[in-house]
Amino acid sequence: MTIPFRQQQMQPMPNGKRTQAGNAEPPRSVPAGALIEFERVSLSLAGRPILQDVNLEIGKGEFVCVVGPSGCGKTTMLRLIAGLFTPTSGKVRYAGAPVTGPRPDIAIVFQDYGKALLPWRNAAGNISLALEAIGVPKAERQERICRLLQLIGLADDADKFPIQLSGGMQQRLQIARCLAQDPVVLLMDEPFAALDALTRQELQDEIQAIVAARNSTVFFVTHDLEEAIYLGDRVFGMRPNPGRIVEAFEVRLPRPRDWLTTPEHPEFLGLRRALFDFIKKVK
Amino acid sequence: MSGSRIFWFLASLAVAAGFIVLWQYVADARLISPAFLPGPNRAWAALVDGMIHRDLTDQLISTVMRMIYGWLLASTLGIAVGALIGISPTARAYLLPTLEMIRPLPASAIIPVSIAFFGLSERMVLAVIAFGALWPMLLATVHGFAAVEPRLYEVARALGLSRWDVIRKIALPSAMPDILAGMRIGLTIALILAVVGEMLTSTEGLGQWVLFAGRSFRASDLFAGVILLGAVGYVSATLLGAAERYLLRWRISH
Amino acid sequence: MTGRIWWRIDWRGAAVPIGFLVIAQLAALNGDLQSDNLAAPSDVAVACWHAIIDGTLFRRTLETLASALGGLALGGSIGLFSGILFGLFQTVDRLMNVTVEAVRPIPSAAVIPVFLLIFGFGFPMEVLIVAFSVTWTMLILTRAAVAGIETRLLEVSRALGFGFGARVYKIILPAALPRIFVAFRLTVAIALIVAVTVEVAANPQGLGYTIMLAEQTLRPDLMFAVLAWIGLIGWALNAVLLWTQRRLFGMAAIDEPAP
Repeated sequence: MTIPFRQQQMQPMPNGKRTQAGNAEPPRSVPAGALIEFERVSLSLAGRPILQDVNLEIGKGEFVCVVGPSGCGKTTMLRLIAGLFTPTSGKVRYAGAPVTGPRPDIAIVFQDYGKALLPWRNAAGNISLALEAIGVPKAERQERICRLLQLIGLADDADKFPIQLSGGMQQRLQIARCLAQDPVVLLMDEPFAALDALTRQELQDEIQAIVAARNSTVFFVTHDLEEAIYLGDRVFGMRPNPGRIVEAFEVRLPRPRDWLTTPEHPEFLGLRRALFDFIKKVK
Repeated sequence: MSGSRIFWFLASLAVAAGFIVLWQYVADARLISPAFLPGPNRAWAALVDGMIHRDLTDQLISTVMRMIYGWLLASTLGIAVGALIGISPTARAYLLPTLEMIRPLPASAIIPVSIAFFGLSERMVLAVIAFGALWPMLLATVHGFAAVEPRLYEVARALGLSRWDVIRKIALPSAMPDILAGMRIGLTIALILAVVGEMLTSTEGLGQWVLFAGRSFRASDLFAGVILLGAVGYVSATLLGAAERYLLRWRISH
Repeated sequence: MTGRIWWRIDWRGAAVPIGFLVIAQLAALNGDLQSDNLAAPSDVAVACWHAIIDGTLFRRTLETLASALGGLALGGSIGLFSGILFGLFQTVDRLMNVTVEAVRPIPSAAVIPVFLLIFGFGFPMEVLIVAFSVTWTMLILTRAAVAGIETRLLEVSRALGFGFGARVYKIILPAALPRIFVAFRLTVAIALIVAVTVEVAANPQGLGYTIMLAEQTLRPDLMFAVLAWIGLIGWALNAVLLWTQRRLFGMAAIDEPAP
């Protein structure tokens, strides 16, 4: 596999942090709300259409969940936003400008956390990788690492290597590394699917809190319908062959949500029924 | 070391001592002619005598230096070139088949070629050692760099790491287990080729020592030399093994 | 079926050796080589052909292979037996630890004068040196193969109430066999390498001796021819064993030790 490396224009910012402007076109004025846009996006791989004519707008601070049967292109959409894929036709825009490649303010949390962490670095070292990548000077790193470890509850495990951490802790570590990038957008690809039910609930609540505190925009892919309702402001339903969005559900549940009371809310139950019916339809 | 590990170590040490006692018995009872099999006492005496009164220590040092020198040469080249080849699928497609063809070639078969170019000299021995130790390290490094977890490359892309950073922070540490394994094999080969090279060129070293001892029917000297060579192999393997365990401590689950 | 594979082979792999041969041939034709050290590929091919025709190459190859395989049989069986023993009985393994770790690092070249002293030149000396080298590798790898059997399998065998004999025969050996075969493949390569090394260093027989003789008699064409031939033999042996391995074990997940 070739390692594509991108040319970056590094621009210094007042507090010494470096960011980059990797986009070719200057950002045009964006309607208040649309941070991420899909405009008639289609993608084919080796002749097979994966996505067809996808249109979508995600506003700043929105928590968007995408559900659908396997192969409907949810992960592909995530990768398009991330800049890891380019559309065959149509445009994917971030902050008004076309997405040309990965950028530090968009962070990806992968499902296979074991493979996404550096096994030879301890927890602190893994977080440090993101800080090194965005150019945080060495003196500042330690403090930020400590803060992030405390945030996700790994303060006592800074010296541990990934192999010494449980699945839930490893995923926490990956999330911490993503947060170290100071991202505006969090792309999460079925991040809790490989965890046991208890850990999953814990992490769902933690992500809720973190996202609320930072006002992050989240694009969350999942198979778990209840998880989608529980976490999201909006839930998109996709159907496969070729992948396209066919339904959009508004989640009008009060925040903060918890697993004790929220699932009993009539709105939750209504959405649950609607989503189950939807999935049965598109399978 | 835990209690049970110390116990087993001592027990197996006792077993080894038992073998030595058996050896002594066989030699004393002349079950095998002392011209062929000197007792451990005689071998040890020859060892001590050689190190104090004769130049056995110098021979030992020569062999060790030669082995290390050739091995380091091969390591640097093997890792550098292996990294470049391993990281590029195109390079691998073009070069790996050729490398795999050379892999089963006994390094000692290169010796006459090396003699043709360098004559019976130090340089020739060094060239042979470096050549012999190079291939396992090169191939192991290529394998290590080729087998980097693809997800980590994606993480690197997402983080925007430069190509140099990817090699330094992702590919190299990931390939370390393979590289170290290759270096271990390379060291064993380096020792063997050092000995063979010394035998052929009669340059100073344990290879020459044991060959001459054998030819002059000095069995005790011969065995002394063999013991020393075993010691060199043991110490170098142990040191490298310790370094490996330290560098790869992230693999052990506690 | 075999006839249709040709376009699926990645021909890029052949580019380098073919290119090298072409360049070497052109260089030989144009310039004047130091005829003591180098030979044009065409000359090498001719020398190889002659050596094949007059039977020397085959005879020498047989000599080398005989020593290699003889030593393999002797050392391989000792190593296999001990490896299985040590793998099955942890006590024995632990007791023998110091002894094995002390003798194992002795380089194969170091024992050449020992066996040369006792047996003189010829087959016995070479066979024994090969056997010495092969024993350790076979032992270590076989031991690992037996000791590394999936514990789940052993639990199942105990639950089924197998006696020791049945356990060894029905569960342990079949489970360890793929890795033992890989060990065997590695040991064959080592046997060939050690045999050639002994011939290069001391023993006037076999391919190692042929190539040394070619150098000494200023026949670089023959020297390179035998060099290529040795490489070919090594490659062919490994290829045959690899094919056998795939045939016998196919998808029975084999863990290859690091190259």
